[in-house]
Amino acid sequence: MAEQQKNTLLHIEDLVLHFKTTKGSVQAVDGVFFDLGYKEAVVVLGESGCGKSSLAKAILRLLPRNVAQYGGKVFLEGTDTMAMDEEQYRQNVRWVRMSLVPQAAMNSLNPVLKVGDQVAEPMMVHHGVKKEEALIQAAKMFQHVGVPVDFLDRYAFELSGGMRQRVAIAMALVTAPALVVLDEPTSALDVLTQANIFNVLKRLKKELEVSFVLITHDIATSSELADRVAVMYAGQIVEVSDAHRFFAEPLHPYSRMLMASVPRLRANQEPEFITGQPPSLLNPPKGCRFAGRCPKRFAKCSEEPPIANVDGIQVKCWLYTS
Amino acid sequence: MNSIRKFFSDLSQYPSAIVGMVIILLMVIISIYTLITIPYDTAITLWRGDENVWYKTPKTAQPKWINWFRKDDLLETFSFNSANGDGTKTEEYSNETNKIFISFPFEYDSNSFPQEISLFFTSKFDQKEPFVSIKLITPDGREVRIGSFAVGKTQTYRFSQDAKLARRLKGNSPEQGVFLDITTDPPTLVKGHYELQIEGVGFEENSTVDAELVVYGGAYGWAGTDHRRRDLTIPLLWGAPVALAFGLLAALGTTLITMIIAAIGTWYGGWVDELIQRITEVNLVLPFLPILIMIGTFYSRSIWVILMAVIMLSIFGSGIKGYRAVFLQIKESPYVEAARAYGAGNWRIIMQYLVPRIIPLLIPQLVILIPSNVFLEASLTVLGLGDPVLPTWGKVIQEGIANGALFQNQFYWVLEPSVILMITGLAFAMVGFSLDRIFNPRLRGV
Amino acid sequence: MAESTLPSPVAIPKKKLSDSAIVRVGKYMLVRLVTMIVTVIIGLYLTILIANMGGYVDEIRRGEIRETTQMQVMNDPSLKSLSGEQRAALIEDRIALEEKRLGLDQPFALRSFSFLKSAVVLDLGFAQYLNSDTGSKQVKLIILERLPSTLLLFGTTNLLLFFGTLFAALYLSRRYGSFLDKFVVAASPMSAAPAWFYGIFLILIFSAGLKLFPFGGMVDAPPPDNTIEYTLSLLKHMILPTLALALNSVAYSIYAERTFFLIYSSEDYVEMAKAKGLTARDVERRYIMRPTLPTIITNFAFLLISVWTGAPIFEGVFNWPGLGRTTVIAVGLYDTPVIVGTTVIFSYMLAVTVFLLDFVYALVDPRVKIGSEGGTK
Repeated sequence: MAEQQKNTLLHIEDLVLHFKTTKGSVQAVDGVFFDLGYKEAVVVLGESGCGKSSLAKAILRLLPRNVAQYGGKVFLEGTDTMAMDEEQYRQNVRWVRMSLVPQAAMNSLNPVLKVGDQVAEPMMVHHGVKKEEALIQAAKMFQHVGVPVDFLDRYAFELSGGMRQRVAIAMALVTAPALVVLDEPTSALDVLTQANIFNVLKRLKKELEVSFVLITHDIATSSELADRVAVMYAGQIVEVSDAHRFFAEPLHPYSRMLMASVPRLRANQEPEFITGQPPSLLNPPKGCRFAGRCPKRFAKCSEEPPIANVDGIQVKCWLYTS
Repeated sequence: MNSIRKFFSDLSQYPSAIVGMVIILLMVIISIYTLITIPYDTAITLWRGDENVWYKTPKTAQPKWINWFRKDDLLETFSFNSANGDGTKTEEYSNETNKIFISFPFEYDSNSFPQEISLFFTSKFDQKEPFVSIKLITPDGREVRIGSFAVGKTQTYRFSQDAKLARRLKGNSPEQGVFLDITTDPPTLVKGHYELQIEGVGFEENSTVDAELVVYGGAYGWAGTDHRRRDLTIPLLWGAPVALAFGLLAALGTTLITMIIAAIGTWYGGWVDELIQRITEVNLVLPFLPILIMIGTFYSRSIWVILMAVIMLSIFGSGIKGYRAVFLQIKESPYVEAARAYGAGNWRIIMQYLVPRIIPLLIPQLVILIPSNVFLEASLTVLGLGDPVLPTWGKVIQEGIANGALFQNQFYWVLEPSVILMITGLAFAMVGFSLDRIFNPRLRGV
Repeated sequence: MAESTLPSPVAIPKKKLSDSAIVRVGKYMLVRLVTMIVTVIIGLYLTILIANMGGYVDEIRRGEIRETTQMQVMNDPSLKSLSGEQRAALIEDRIALEEKRLGLDQPFALRSFSFLKSAVVLDLGFAQYLNSDTGSKQVKLIILERLPSTLLLFGTTNLLLFFGTLFAALYLSRRYGSFLDKFVVAASPMSAAPAWFYGIFLILIFSAGLKLFPFGGMVDAPPPDNTIEYTLSLLKHMILPTLALALNSVAYSIYAERTFFLIYSSEDYVEMAKAKGLTARDVERRYIMRPTLPTIITNFAFLLISVWTGAPIFEGVFNWPGLGRTTVIAVGLYDTPVIVGTTVIFSYMLAVTVFLLDFVYALVDPRVKIGSEGGTK
């Protein structure tokens, strides 16, 4: 186990994040687990309302004011980051080993500061680099993502949506972290720009030796980038697999129905949809949370299924427990 | 109905709003009560304070309750009127003379002296004036001779103006001297049972005399009096409806008209909108109070003129920006476009879509505007530009300051209207701020 | 854009002059200056219209003519030989001539523009009763003499308040939900009462009651000779007025700014800044305070305007020898030219205030471009 952890960049175990609301406790992230190696990309798939964005916050410890519960283990390069206090975390993890590309970078850039300064900032803060050098590094990153270098002096409102997202990616890479978490990086963009961005990500994965955690609901586009796939449902991970095997034949009933719902270019069948609604995260049902919509449901499903290991694929389903 | 109930339950989360609403309710009740018990004409007459209106009240007297805080409690003003049956009055007609005997007994237990003592006589006679002789019986049995003189149809005798009396009292001013025991050194105030006796002689059959004794103490009423002897409860009570009306009308007028202007600007767009923007900028540079001062000095101080001027100077204020933003948002919105597509008339669009969206913005603005207008009216009055006939809170403050209340320890004069003004203003502000927190979506959760 | 090889060494392009902040702000301010001048002129014109609806500005002019003519004739040695009556007749003739020359017999529309011209250059005529400290009756001098005191009091107080409330609000926004926070929110309606109002209470308590501070005025009478004592005396007299102004504006300002900070701190870019691992101080300064500054400055502009507006009564209550108190005295004396003159100056002061704040706004908000939305509009 320890040796596996040494080669594993990211090992998440039992990650939990609950929010306090006026209506009760929202269990947005309720037992997430997966592993990620170096220069790998894992895609976390899930539909709206399954807790994906909260997952990004949980991994990066970006907690709002109304946290009810936050726990679990996040091993980054062998060290449990959850055990660090705020200041240690800030100095050793944030943007040094792990960074974030947020959804809809429109609002993620400070409107009154130049984008170049914002991209250069982490270098100055974490690596003590002087401003001129940091800007050179920022310029390099701009080139990587395909943003003209003289945009360093521009402000956020002067850039288009696609440009801003590239700037956000550049910002995430400027300190050369080992891991970048991307939270729906292209949902707010048009299809062409989406394709562009994913090409950029593919190239960067190769050139810069960086790993990605890509959180998205866009199965089709993300399949190009993915090395591993984790499926999230109702706050939990129900399947972790490698991309080849997943896209060919997913194991968990939910994954199957997800894949069946993706339109294919050359298929004669119509995509199938999944009946029903995902359960509320306020009061998740006992037992398997997918049971209500699962066509393969049987009596045992009223209990919480264990995580079965099928030849390296982890599935949270009674069907695979012997 | 449901939304109203929800509204009140939201509001009740803010304790300051509840306090504010209670106070506002109180003010409204006071206003209604005042308008009923002291109708406008009566109020104006009382406030003008002609000769005979306030003769029974002392000048700049402190309010009664000040005695709770004072060691040397001030004397509360009291009076007797034989014509009303106070005291005793006997008449005996014999030998062509009408012997009249009036007695006013009273207990004197204050530690301070009266400010003044006056006797107001009214007499009936044909040709010969009746003659009176006044004396005061002290608790220790002395008889102090006050004076003797003939009385006309109406006659006023002021103790303090009688120099002979003063001399007889060994140089002490009469209103104090009659209550002093001058044998001790220093002379001491004698408390106890006093009796003022008036022996009158009428020289005709139906000739008679009535007397009214007024002992003016340092205290009077619940609010005190001012330099013109006017009971301050009148302007304090009457200030409420004036303040509320002025504040409400000004706020209402300004808010509604501003909203309409913003609506017109966004609806027609183009040069109309630009023009309105420019006017707003010019309005920013116009000094609000100095212009009101100019109007008040040069033209008219009537409260209606001032009200109009205030509204005119306020409608192109900063509120326009807020309304404009909301209107623009609505105008460009898909549901309005859809409404026009299905042929909804302008009126329907306005009523159905614009108005409900603008009301949440209007209400807090309106309520918050009320106290500033109330204070504005007070400000102008304090400057000396108030409505000349209306008794308002500002008037009391102004007269107080002008007559040196701050230097002469007559704090009540300025404090009472100030405190009421403050409470009223604060009440509206508290409610308004809470409303803002409820209605303004950006402020939710902060 | 898609495939590119490893980047070659990069040179940061030199900043072009036309991009620099100075030029951007400079161009913007020029436009604002022109706009402001036009606005002021229109405002002054309106003021004159209002003032003269009763014909008072005419009276000012006439008074002025009479004064100067009389002085001329009286001081002219060549006319000493004339009798009193002849001189009086000469004066009347000259006055009539002057009035004709200045167009006082022209229709109002034309006259109003000539008044406007005078008002713009502050040629405001002669006071009827008041005198300047140098003994002159020129309204311009009377006003300009009193202006510095007003500026001193309001300037220092507002500067203190601006920075004080800014940092207090920042401090408060870090403590959302705490008792102090709730207290400030509950106390915010205190700003409903104007500063002069609090002034009365303060004077009652501290001057009349506790006898700690002077009743009013700017310095002790007679004013101390040496500078240190003078300054101390000045400071002592400034405490209560500053406190009154503070009581009025601090409550709402801190509440509003703290609310802005809270709203702006829930912006996505703030979260990004935290994710980037910036120190809390950096996040506060660069990601919360900086973007909020434009809004705060706009707010501050309105506050300043209302303070200016309340100046007359405020200075009256505190007997502060500034422009506001001059207005009050002039009202009491019914000294028309001075009243109109002070209104004109207040107009100017407001315009200057707005202009200065526009300048600061342009410095702080890079989104301000020529002709686009921005400034305190």
